[in-house]
Amino acid sequence: MALNIKRACLTSVALAAVVGLASIATPAAAADGNLSLKGKRIGVAVVGTQHFWDREAFNGALDEVKALGGEPVPVDGGRDNQVHADNHDILLAAKVDAVISILGDAAVEPKFKALKEAGIPVFTVDHLSPYSINNSTSDNYYMGTTIGRFMADAIGGKGKVAVFNAFEGALRICAIRTQMWKYVLQDYPDIKIVKPELAESFANAPEDARKKTLDLLTQYPKGTLDAIHVGCWDQPAIGVVQALEETGRTEIKVTALDAGPDTLEIMAEKNSPFVANVAQQPHKIGMTSAMNVARYFGGEKLLPQTFVEVVPVKGPDSAKKVYEDLGYGKLK
Amino acid sequence: MTSLASPRQSFDIGRLARAVAPSLPLIVFLAMFVYLGIASPSFLEPSTFALILKQSIPTTIVSLGLATVVMAGGDDVVSGGIDLSIPAAAVLAAAVVADLVTNHAWFIGPALLIGLLTAVACGLVNAFLVVLVGMTPLLATFASATAFVGIGKVVTASRRINVTDPLVVWLRDGVIAGVPVGVIAACVISAVFYFVLHRTRWGLNLQAVGGNRDAAEISGLSPAKFIATAFVIAGLAAGIGSIFVLARGSGWAPGTEENMMMEMVLATFLGAAFSPRRIVTLWGAVLGAVLVSALSVGFGSVGIDIFWTGCIKGGLILVVVASSALSRKVNI
Repeated sequence: MALNIKRACLTSVALAAVVGLASIATPAAAADGNLSLKGKRIGVAVVGTQHFWDREAFNGALDEVKALGGEPVPVDGGRDNQVHADNHDILLAAKVDAVISILGDAAVEPKFKALKEAGIPVFTVDHLSPYSINNSTSDNYYMGTTIGRFMADAIGGKGKVAVFNAFEGALRICAIRTQMWKYVLQDYPDIKIVKPELAESFANAPEDARKKTLDLLTQYPKGTLDAIHVGCWDQPAIGVVQALEETGRTEIKVTALDAGPDTLEIMAEKNSPFVANVAQQPHKIGMTSAMNVARYFGGEKLLPQTFVEVVPVKGPDSAKKVYEDLGYGKLK
Repeated sequence: MTSLASPRQSFDIGRLARAVAPSLPLIVFLAMFVYLGIASPSFLEPSTFALILKQSIPTTIVSLGLATVVMAGGDDVVSGGIDLSIPAAAVLAAAVVADLVTNHAWFIGPALLIGLLTAVACGLVNAFLVVLVGMTPLLATFASATAFVGIGKVVTASRRINVTDPLVVWLRDGVIAGVPVGVIAACVISAVFYFVLHRTRWGLNLQAVGGNRDAAEISGLSPAKFIATAFVIAGLAAGIGSIFVLARGSGWAPGTEENMMMEMVLATFLGAAFSPRRIVTLWGAVLGAVLVSALSVGFGSVGIDIFWTGCIKGGLILVVVASSALSRKVNI
């Protein structure tokens, strides 16, 4: 009997693990078979499509709007926050039935207000706003604390760390992630953050971060810097790793957030300085937002935020596993 | 024209090129607008027209500056007058104003004055580089634009600055007799520029310098003085444009200058296609800015595959510049 219970427990744990993994890799559309956006024109505004995260969130929203029978009206800000904000005016003029707005800084707020006043509901992705019906996002709190713990572990709980932190004041999701990271570091008094903090560029981030890292390395010779962290995303980390490899300073550990296939590949390399990350599921986040639009039109009451699971990544083997689990393929 | 071509053939080709080349941008734009009008019914509505005007404001103002420089220096893109740094100067001035108002609690009036002086100083730097140092305007202003962007990043630490001053909000959202305040302001500024450059002796002399530098010099005018002043006026336009940059983005954000520069060049040289003599004019630049804005709004309304938008705009710049070069070649 005891054995049976144990077996049953093991079976349910295994089943839960499989179901859990499946929920990571596959969209959850099937669970809401009665959702529909038939006859609805849904504006989908994205800040840019150069980066994996933005593009996938955008494609996820477009795919799901189409799958639910709606007609998407896509607009792209070209990684320019002002163009992105202006694009909402276009959607207002086009009289869409709802808007899904992906990322964006405070420039979008007056546009959201105008849309709301015109009776067009706004749904956001990674952007908290009083005008948004619902914000679909990752668990940014967990991301921030997890990467804080991982980074502290990677440098043995002490040392100097430089941080790229351009967006803490501009984007709430970045404020959450970076402040949670700093919150964890309060319990590691021997870890010091280099001042002033670095500011990465919004467009062309890898090359910009590469140059800034090269300058930083000149200021901090070997043995005086232990880690470089990117507070809100990981495109700059690509340039950071390049700079470390160019200068042979790969003893410096790199941590960041997002973990798309491009950065997971870098992390999976043997002896990669890029040691920790937290993977998001942007495609699923975009899809979730589109489904929330359908739920709203179906009369469901939505919570202010919908959180999509994230997956911590620590070290090359973990990077390879997450790469495979998230459906990006297989790494050697 | 090769020596193998018969005189008859060369005449025909020349005549055809002369007839079609200058009008090519107009033909292409007209075709695109017909398409947009058919593909998106909302594109032809009055509210869309108001939106087009509103979104064209910053480009209109900086295009006035560029048109002034081209009119003074001549429309040869390499050796004539060009100023690629106007958007960068506008964004730098906007950074200064945003920093003073938000980070140092200045009143908007004095802050705007400092912003204006900053932009005029940018114009003076260009005048110095071109007239006194003797650099090609294209290279000089390309280099100075890079420097202005760099200074802007130093001022703002490359971080977004929100501006919620009532004047800026009023310029963004205000309406007088159904017309957006920003549009009225842009009309007034354009009218002042038009009056100064087309209706005063000084303005006509400036055009004479741009039309034929040698002839102007023989008749006693100092080309250097007019060209230097044109760069300073361009700086002034950048300074005026900065407040609209702030209004449009509800604050300052890095990277705004790139798209604006592309639109400014497209608008100004597209405007030449409307002039009977196919030369850059102020009202042509204003019309060009409105058309470029219409194109952006049109693309958004139709939901053109966003990955093609950049290709189409780049292609249009090519058509406009090539047509200008071709018509000049044909006229020689």
